[in-house]
Amino acid sequence: MQVGPSQASTSTPIRERFQIKSKHWLFLMACPFLVLVFIFSYLPLGGWIYAFYDYRPGIPLSKSDFVGFHWFTAMFSNEVQRSEMVRVLRNTFAISSLGILTSVLPVIFAIMLTEVRNASFKKIVQTFTTLPNFISWVLVYSFAFMLFSVDGGFLNNVLMSLGWIEEPTNILASNQHTWLAMTLWGVWKGLGWGAIMYIAAITGIDQELYEAAKVDGASRFRQIWHVTIPGIMPTFFVLLVLSIANFINNGMEQYFIFANAMNMSNIEVLDLYVYNVGITGSNFGFATAVSIMKSFVSLFLLFLANGLSKAVRGETII
Amino acid sequence: MAIRSKISFFDIINYTVLALFTLTCFFPFYYLFINTISNNDLSSRGLVMFYPIEIHLSNYAQVFQIPGFGQAALVSLGRTVIGTLLTVAASGFLGYLFTKQEMWGRRFWYRFLVITMYFNAGLIPWYLIMRNLGLLNNFLAYLLPAIVSPFYIILVKTYVESTPISLQESAQIDGAGYFTVFWKIIMPLITPILATIAIFSAVGQWNQFYDTLFLVTDQRLYTLQFILWRYLNEATSVAEIMRQTGGSTRLDLSMMPTATSIRTTVTMIVVVPILLVYPFFQRFFVKGIMIGAVKG
Amino acid sequence: MLIKKKWPTFIILVCLVLIFVTACSKSNQTSNNPASIGENGEVDWSQEPEVTLNVFSVLANYAGPQPGWFAKLVKDKFNINLNIIQGGVEGRVATQMASGDLGDLIVGMGGKDYTDAIKGGLLLDWTKDDLLETYGKNIMNFAPEALEANRQQYGDGTAIYGIGHSIGSGDGPSEGAEMTFGPYLRWDLYQQLGSPTIKTLDDYLPLLKQMQELQPKSDSGKKTYGFSLWSDWDGEFSTLAKVTAQFHGYSESDGFNPGALILVKADEPDYQPILDDESYYMKGLKFYFDANQMGLLDPDSLTQTFGDVSNKFKDGQVLFAQFPWLTPAYNTPENTAAGKGFALVPFEEQNIYSSGFNPYGGNWLWSIGAKTKHPERVMALLDWMFSPDGIMEGFWGPKGLAWDLDDNGKPVLTEYGLQAMYNGDTPVPEEYGGGIWSDGAGNFGKLNNTTLALSQINPNTGEPYDYKLWTSELTRDPDPVKKSWQDTMGVLTDKELFVKNNQVAVSKSFFNGQAPVEEPSDIKLKRSQVGKVIKEYSWKMMFAKDEAEFDSLKQEMLEKAKGLGYDEVINWQAEQTTNTVFTIYK
Repeated sequence: MQVGPSQASTSTPIRERFQIKSKHWLFLMACPFLVLVFIFSYLPLGGWIYAFYDYRPGIPLSKSDFVGFHWFTAMFSNEVQRSEMVRVLRNTFAISSLGILTSVLPVIFAIMLTEVRNASFKKIVQTFTTLPNFISWVLVYSFAFMLFSVDGGFLNNVLMSLGWIEEPTNILASNQHTWLAMTLWGVWKGLGWGAIMYIAAITGIDQELYEAAKVDGASRFRQIWHVTIPGIMPTFFVLLVLSIANFINNGMEQYFIFANAMNMSNIEVLDLYVYNVGITGSNFGFATAVSIMKSFVSLFLLFLANGLSKAVRGETII
Repeated sequence: MAIRSKISFFDIINYTVLALFTLTCFFPFYYLFINTISNNDLSSRGLVMFYPIEIHLSNYAQVFQIPGFGQAALVSLGRTVIGTLLTVAASGFLGYLFTKQEMWGRRFWYRFLVITMYFNAGLIPWYLIMRNLGLLNNFLAYLLPAIVSPFYIILVKTYVESTPISLQESAQIDGAGYFTVFWKIIMPLITPILATIAIFSAVGQWNQFYDTLFLVTDQRLYTLQFILWRYLNEATSVAEIMRQTGGSTRLDLSMMPTATSIRTTVTMIVVVPILLVYPFFQRFFVKGIMIGAVKG
Repeated sequence: MLIKKKWPTFIILVCLVLIFVTACSKSNQTSNNPASIGENGEVDWSQEPEVTLNVFSVLANYAGPQPGWFAKLVKDKFNINLNIIQGGVEGRVATQMASGDLGDLIVGMGGKDYTDAIKGGLLLDWTKDDLLETYGKNIMNFAPEALEANRQQYGDGTAIYGIGHSIGSGDGPSEGAEMTFGPYLRWDLYQQLGSPTIKTLDDYLPLLKQMQELQPKSDSGKKTYGFSLWSDWDGEFSTLAKVTAQFHGYSESDGFNPGALILVKADEPDYQPILDDESYYMKGLKFYFDANQMGLLDPDSLTQTFGDVSNKFKDGQVLFAQFPWLTPAYNTPENTAAGKGFALVPFEEQNIYSSGFNPYGGNWLWSIGAKTKHPERVMALLDWMFSPDGIMEGFWGPKGLAWDLDDNGKPVLTEYGLQAMYNGDTPVPEEYGGGIWSDGAGNFGKLNNTTLALSQINPNTGEPYDYKLWTSELTRDPDPVKKSWQDTMGVLTDKELFVKNNQVAVSKSFFNGQAPVEEPSDIKLKRSQVGKVIKEYSWKMMFAKDEAEFDSLKQEMLEKAKGLGYDEVINWQAEQTTNTVFTIYK
């Protein structure tokens, strides 16, 4: 997008002829890949038709009942269900917003890491901080259970022996600060891994800019502020727009694992709710309807964020 | 040089914070690890906390003895290496192509690509397409769908756009084709992001078992993650049956859940290869080296 | 330019054509009749060419080729390799159905999936080409009613597409030596407290309190609890609280319809909506609430999984077990030798739910894929699994290894068997397939389904199929805890005690020639949403601070459940049960 001037200045007649050929040549080179996209991402969308049927696998659609928009409205059909949806969406928005707020943390981490001059320390930090990413949520939970369980949990034992509390408390079954706790677990698990992209972006910054800044007598903070941060902003904004589009897709594994009766009302994000309603596994019409609605919301958010980006930064992402 | 040797207040804070965070990342892993090599009985009672007790390796022996472990490891290695190469090459090249303003329908095709990230057609249509393409029990099923990944392409495009464009422009005027420009000029410039994609994609391939679960019934194509998943799942599927029968299915000892120690052992076995390979990639993240090389 | 603009369309077309070309499936080969027919018309299946059959088992918790001695057995007898496709994974049944090919042998598929598969033409009709008549002699001999039931219910009175599981006839409980549910206490502690009689379920609470005071610490020094529950088995309610119903002769299923939210009496035309004030489910919630008030309920119950609980049982942290199969975790040879262990401690009001024998077969059906190339060989294999020899060998291994017949023709476990049955890691001799015992063990290996009920009598030996019920096993020296229990109770097994005291409610099998009515999709949606509320509030109620909170949570639960369509679900389910199972009593 920063092409403008150089492009314009080279548009000689020869160049133009070159371009006419090249614009199709460019497309042709991309074409095989676009075909793959079409096959693996667009063709399956034919299955969206299931959303309008009482579809059962194995039975052709021609023999299935057409139900129109029944599955689309099923989740909002009465007062109690609507209030359930409100609750679930509130959780989704809260956790997603916290997730977006904390998305600057990997940036900060990446900057801090690249400011480390001791090579082996840097390597150790960079490697070990990715470890949580590889531990499944099930195991994260078993570790959390070891730390926080009432019966012999590490934290309760420590607090009790310090005399700070009389009775052990069940922290995992607490309904307090659920959103924050979930966000923190997510940050812990994804920080080191997510920072890799920013580390790569920092690596790509032209060293001459740093040299020039140094010549100007800029301090380290000023170098970070004037060189590093502008250098990784494009990456950050792209990821930000993508995550805004993912606002309603929290995934469910983490929440499913950490959920229990006490925190359910606060932990139940949309994906978990849909799963908990328990019929996605067998009711394909309903499951597809949910997918479709989610896809449209995501696309709407994507273009909204893209438009905002254009308005604010003068650049579009997609 | 004087500035370098000085340890500033910023450094102290920086090192401390990083060290503490590294510790919180490392300790759980360490905790899980010592539980895999300690007496399983003590471990299941939650008595192993800071150091291993009664060290033994039988958990690892047990996992390594799962039938087909070696073959599955090879398949996993194969899909990881080939899949990663394909993904990296395709993402790099496509990401570069999409930076070319003059590409026919560029905006449309780019959006055509990007929005697929938010599509979810569901299990059955996906399965039917894969089946109709002849990708059941086919090694290509591990590779073809992974070649084009919108997210990586976006990363590359963003990265290329933030590099100095003058280099490629000058080369193009000299009559170099797109392939040459990509190979000679762009590739060296974007090594860090390609390394990032390689890591992401390799880990993705290595950890994937879902495709095997649905698309493969031929044990020669089983991946390591799949056989390990299957091994662990023998326990979790018990819960599923119990849910359906309201607890009225009788269990015998063989159906008791896999001990957490075995579960953890599996994680260790899967993670260690990643840990061994990752530092190798880190050399691509050293500030400034690549740009210097191009200019030099 | 115009032409060029059509590129995308052109490419899309090419793709579509390619896909549909590859979509054309190969035509089916018709089966050849077996070549090797012996002298008296018997086929020697082992002489047939080697084949690999795809077994789609919804019940299997394993995928891949059947390993171990069971694989060897099937290979030797039929020259068949079994490749097991695990159907229990979410979505696996659906994709397999959608693909139009379920495999050669289908294990454990029932309910709506089964009727859908028939509708979709995915299952083979056994009456075609006299397949059943020719190769299914044992099935016809041992399960004629089940075949007929299937013909009536699913085959319009002509075709037969499958056969149910756990088929049996006769009165009384169909369980083995133990029932599925029951109140089990630490026998040693109970005796130390003078073995007080227990009248109602609530009477366990003060007793457990005393036991907890008597044994405040577990083997590893942790606090003991009366109860330790887990939530990962919960479907539409708290499974553990619902077990209270089974203690009183009620179950969430009437044995015929796919129930869930009504508790149906096993042997009377009576049902309780699950949230009724007087329902045994609500009593169960109150029971655990009281237990928690008394400090008897493990506070981690909410957040732990079954795996954690089974570790706690192992450690002796829990004093009460709701299921007999939980007790072996603590009743190890070391513990029982020291006199410590769980045993059944009944209460007077109990009326344990028992599934009676069902001649029509249970809901985990055996069926054959319509696209199989070897219908006769699949049928022969299935037929063998319905034969007395097939059941004995399929469950307890080839004769002569783990079991044998004594001089009187009665089955006994061999020395090897005594080891193998209690330790799956016992190595298997190479001639029987090698590996370890548990590789091949299971319900017909990894297929994981039964044919005839195991407590049925094997006509060849006059003893039940289940080795735990063989006279030789029942009379084997019991461990000290078991011995003490047997001496006190004057019976050998749990089941005997229940039957002797007339404390068992045996469910009746029902058949009216029709399949159960399918649950409409909207009822299903409502049921799952209601279930979610019940599950959540049940746990909150059990852990409520006081009675007032318990009651207000209960009100909240009722309001929410009703708002989500609880009454409609209950009415629909009650109507099904009244129209079918309850007609037995008229």
